[in-house]
Amino acid sequence: MLEIRNLSVAYGKIVAVSNLSLTVNEGEIVTVVGGNGAGKTTTLRTVSGVLKPRSGEILFKGKSMVGLSPEAIVTRGISHSPEGRMIFGRLTITENLKLGAYNRKDPSGVKSDMERMFGMFPVLEQRKSQRAGTLSGGEQQMLAIARSLMSRPNLLLLDEPSLGLAPLLVEKIFDVVVELRNEGVTILLVEQNANEALRISDRAYVLETGTVTIEGPSTELINNPMLRAAYLGLD
Amino acid sequence: MTINYIMQQLVNGLALGSIYALLAIGLTMVYGILRLINFAHGDLMMLGAYVSSIFISATILPILFAVVIPTLLMALMGLIVERTAYRPLRGAPEVAMLITSLGVSRLLQNSTVLVLSPQPRAFRLPGDLTQTMNVGGIRFTQLDVLTFLLVIALMVLLTLYINRSKTGMAMRASSENLRAARLIGINVNWAIGAAFVLGSALAGTAGFLWASRYGIIDPFMGFLPGVKAFVAAVIGGIGSIRGAVAGGVILGVAEIGFVGFLPPEFSGYRDAFVFSLLLIVLLVRPNGLFGKSEVERA
Repeated sequence: MLEIRNLSVAYGKIVAVSNLSLTVNEGEIVTVVGGNGAGKTTTLRTVSGVLKPRSGEILFKGKSMVGLSPEAIVTRGISHSPEGRMIFGRLTITENLKLGAYNRKDPSGVKSDMERMFGMFPVLEQRKSQRAGTLSGGEQQMLAIARSLMSRPNLLLLDEPSLGLAPLLVEKIFDVVVELRNEGVTILLVEQNANEALRISDRAYVLETGTVTIEGPSTELINNPMLRAAYLGLD
Repeated sequence: MTINYIMQQLVNGLALGSIYALLAIGLTMVYGILRLINFAHGDLMMLGAYVSSIFISATILPILFAVVIPTLLMALMGLIVERTAYRPLRGAPEVAMLITSLGVSRLLQNSTVLVLSPQPRAFRLPGDLTQTMNVGGIRFTQLDVLTFLLVIALMVLLTLYINRSKTGMAMRASSENLRAARLIGINVNWAIGAAFVLGSALAGTAGFLWASRYGIIDPFMGFLPGVKAFVAAVIGGIGSIRGAVAGGVILGVAEIGFVGFLPPEFSGYRDAFVFSLLLIVLLVRPNGLFGKSEVERA
């Protein structure tokens, strides 16, 4: 579904991603793990069209996405739930969700999707007319995910959904990710919490200084001694 | 000093403050999204005044044209300026846009000098608008009343638009976090364009009101009111429309009060007074009256 080939991205002279290749097949959950500055977020932001690659190719459903505007990419079926949630705190929860569906032209579909989100995250419905800034961290994360689902994506880019959340909420967020996959959304997940992420994903990539160093099925990577030492905090 | 005199100064201050408020709304919307102090905003008011003067002298047309046409034309002008001058700088450091806005300001002023004339020209309202009414010893014109009502009506309409419409929602989201708005697929260029169109339209309206009030227009008339209106927006809390209106009215009343209540030798310092007010507000209440703290932005 998504194919990244030899991608390089730089901020001025600083190369953040170099020669990275990565594939996500339809129906998969693919995890990207790696330390700070490994290029995970940069990769996602380039797929969303916020950053322009220096070189390389990004194909989605066989078509090149490079050079398209972020809104064109959302319209084509890729949605991004950003690191740090980036919800609009001064807007209401309902408004945040509506903005997630900004490019859709089917008001009735948007309405029913909004109901679906409220079904999936009841806490959002209870507080739908409140400002999103009043939500707790975990609730804001749910809102960020719900907002990104409002565009009805085929592929969801999830950047650090568990960051800064209490263990119980982390559990809940990962349950949601699995549930989404079961509903047919393909997911590219970036996580610091490699343990949990590998447990729920099909395949995984390890990024170091902007390039892929290890890749394979998650069940294999979970037992990879190098990975266990570096990212899983085991051994 | 009689109570009448005080009321008189208050009326004058409200009339001037209403015009500051109109200008401040446009400045605060644009600053809210782009973090740009648009120095060219006041010059759109100047262009609006010139357009208005054409329709004032063509007495066959009703006075309404002298208000509506500059409003519409400046809306268009705002869009053109945004497209040609500011949009190419999207993603560049904020200071690049700031300097560009000074350039646009100079361009508009000097083009007017070149095409028309550097000489001031008279702007005379026909008919009843400037006729003085006297209510309980306080003198004001129909224009003063019109100005005040117009500003309130426009503020209510604009607030409704920004709170209810889809574009308004996109504008608020962009103002809170432009990067996030882009990322989730909001057409931020559309939202930015809307802020320029709406703000510039109000500057066009302000052009008519300012020229009517002072009876004279010149190519450099817009710059200082533009900067003062930015002061008003900061006093009210930058990014907030309510704040822009409140700040405009406060500034207008304070400025007239300064001139009206202090000995005449101080009146030459009225501009210095306005900017001192800005310094005081920034020291005491850096987020302005209706401003959002940066913490709430997180």
